[in-house]
Amino acid sequence: MALIELKHLTKTFKGKTQTVDALRDINLDINQGDIYGIIGMSGAGKSTLVRCINFLEKPTSGSVVIDGKDLSTLTPAELRKLRQEVSMIFQHFNLLQQRDVRGNIAFAMEIAGMKRDAINKRIDELLEIVGLTDRQHNYPSQLSGGQQQRVAIARALATNPKIILCDEATSALDPTTTTSILNLLREINKKMGITIVIITHEMSVVESTCSHVAIIDNGTLVETGRVEDVFSHPKSSAARKLIFRKTGADAPPLGKRMIRIVFEGNASSEPILADLVMECRVAVNIMHAETRDVGGKAFGHMILQLPEERVQQEKVIYYLQSRSIHVEEV
Amino acid sequence: MALEKLIPLLMDGIKDTLYMTTISTLFAYLLGMPLALALVLTSPKGLKPMPLLYRVMDFVVNIFRSIPFLILMILVIPVTRFIAGKSYGSTATIVPLVIAAAPYVARMIESSLLEVDPGVIEAAQSMGASIPQIVFKVLIPEAKTSLIVGATISSGTILGYSAMSGAIGGGGLGQIAISYGYNRYQTDVLVATVVLLVILMQIIQIVGMFISRKTDKRVRE
Repeated sequence: MALIELKHLTKTFKGKTQTVDALRDINLDINQGDIYGIIGMSGAGKSTLVRCINFLEKPTSGSVVIDGKDLSTLTPAELRKLRQEVSMIFQHFNLLQQRDVRGNIAFAMEIAGMKRDAINKRIDELLEIVGLTDRQHNYPSQLSGGQQQRVAIARALATNPKIILCDEATSALDPTTTTSILNLLREINKKMGITIVIITHEMSVVESTCSHVAIIDNGTLVETGRVEDVFSHPKSSAARKLIFRKTGADAPPLGKRMIRIVFEGNASSEPILADLVMECRVAVNIMHAETRDVGGKAFGHMILQLPEERVQQEKVIYYLQSRSIHVEEV
Repeated sequence: MALEKLIPLLMDGIKDTLYMTTISTLFAYLLGMPLALALVLTSPKGLKPMPLLYRVMDFVVNIFRSIPFLILMILVIPVTRFIAGKSYGSTATIVPLVIAAAPYVARMIESSLLEVDPGVIEAAQSMGASIPQIVFKVLIPEAKTSLIVGATISSGTILGYSAMSGAIGGGGLGQIAISYGYNRYQTDVLVATVVLLVILMQIIQIVGMFISRKTDKRVRE
């Protein structure tokens, strides 16, 4: 059974003049130990979705089941108890400005009703994990963004949660800091087995960190699955827009036949194009090429402009297919 | 007026003024704080939205805020008599001062609490904090600096009200200014009370701002 089950989740916001369907029939299973990325353009409903997982937003219909518990059946007190197992970190860190690093980490445990001695002991452990022991008496205003997010992560870990929800947790950070925060999250996932849900609009975050991905567009999940599957063969146009964002692949120039070839795993280490040109004796024009490292394997995609002649076009496609390369018309 | 008579007179005036101001501020906060919390929590965007209750409280606060202090003082004379036993003198004046200041203080506290970053409140909720925990561990401590600034402004305003109360039987420096300076044309006494009021206001302001700065952790050292 999945650790987080979302079933037929919908969320509608009613305004005075209009209603907005922020989420429509979302179904998603997230298993223990996953690092699940939920990616979408801004306004797609990502933040609403993640807030439904811990019931900061109550869904309009459908259910959220965490560890077998249907959240809508819990009393307010039971829900607060459950939230100690589902921590959350935020884009803007949301630390208490009037408490120092230790005080901020202590906060989560004070809420959980832990004793002073136990809190202090745990703070020392957590400072070690996030590498902020030398900053423990600083206030948030004296810390960099990355350091503040580390404090937030320590705070999130304090109550030994099963799940950490990350709402655009790296979007306010520079690339280097982003990498170090993502590394920390991966390490936490690996060492402690904590399931992590990452909400983001950045492909690179999902590529480098997530095991699974769900693509959300206009309040609907359009694709879900393992990162390498979804990213190498995106089926929906929303997914393509996100993955091949800069290629303009959805609007090819008229009159020219173009194909997208996708190659993955060992295929990317072979000189396919050179072989193609030599063996078929045709010229192809590379309109766009991009390779990515997804989950440790190399993936690439290219957009080729084919020769005018029909026979030569078919030859190219046939050749590529014989080399077991995924070909699609664009 | 001879100095040996003036000084004890003014000393008494200062004592009475400080007495009225501090006790009134204290009671205004005792009433204003829960009222402000109720306003913040029950507002449509609050943690416990109760639109009807909110609108009623909002309306009542506005009514009290819109009555000029001098007129309010006359209006509540029966209440003052009921609580203090008489309607004149320093102690009795505390009653209208509190009635006028509590809604004012509530608004000051309300605006301080609304300045607290909603993200931090959301973070507390995500950790499973209850409403009392959010109030006492997030709202009030995070608004501390702003609350102290508000208290400084409020006690200054209450100091001003207390002086005004001298016009209709309140005690303290205001009463001295009116009975000697206005009714008996003793300009020296009038000027002396004004100078003292200015000094008191300055002290309140300087001390208040000093405390708020000292306790604010957002400022880099």
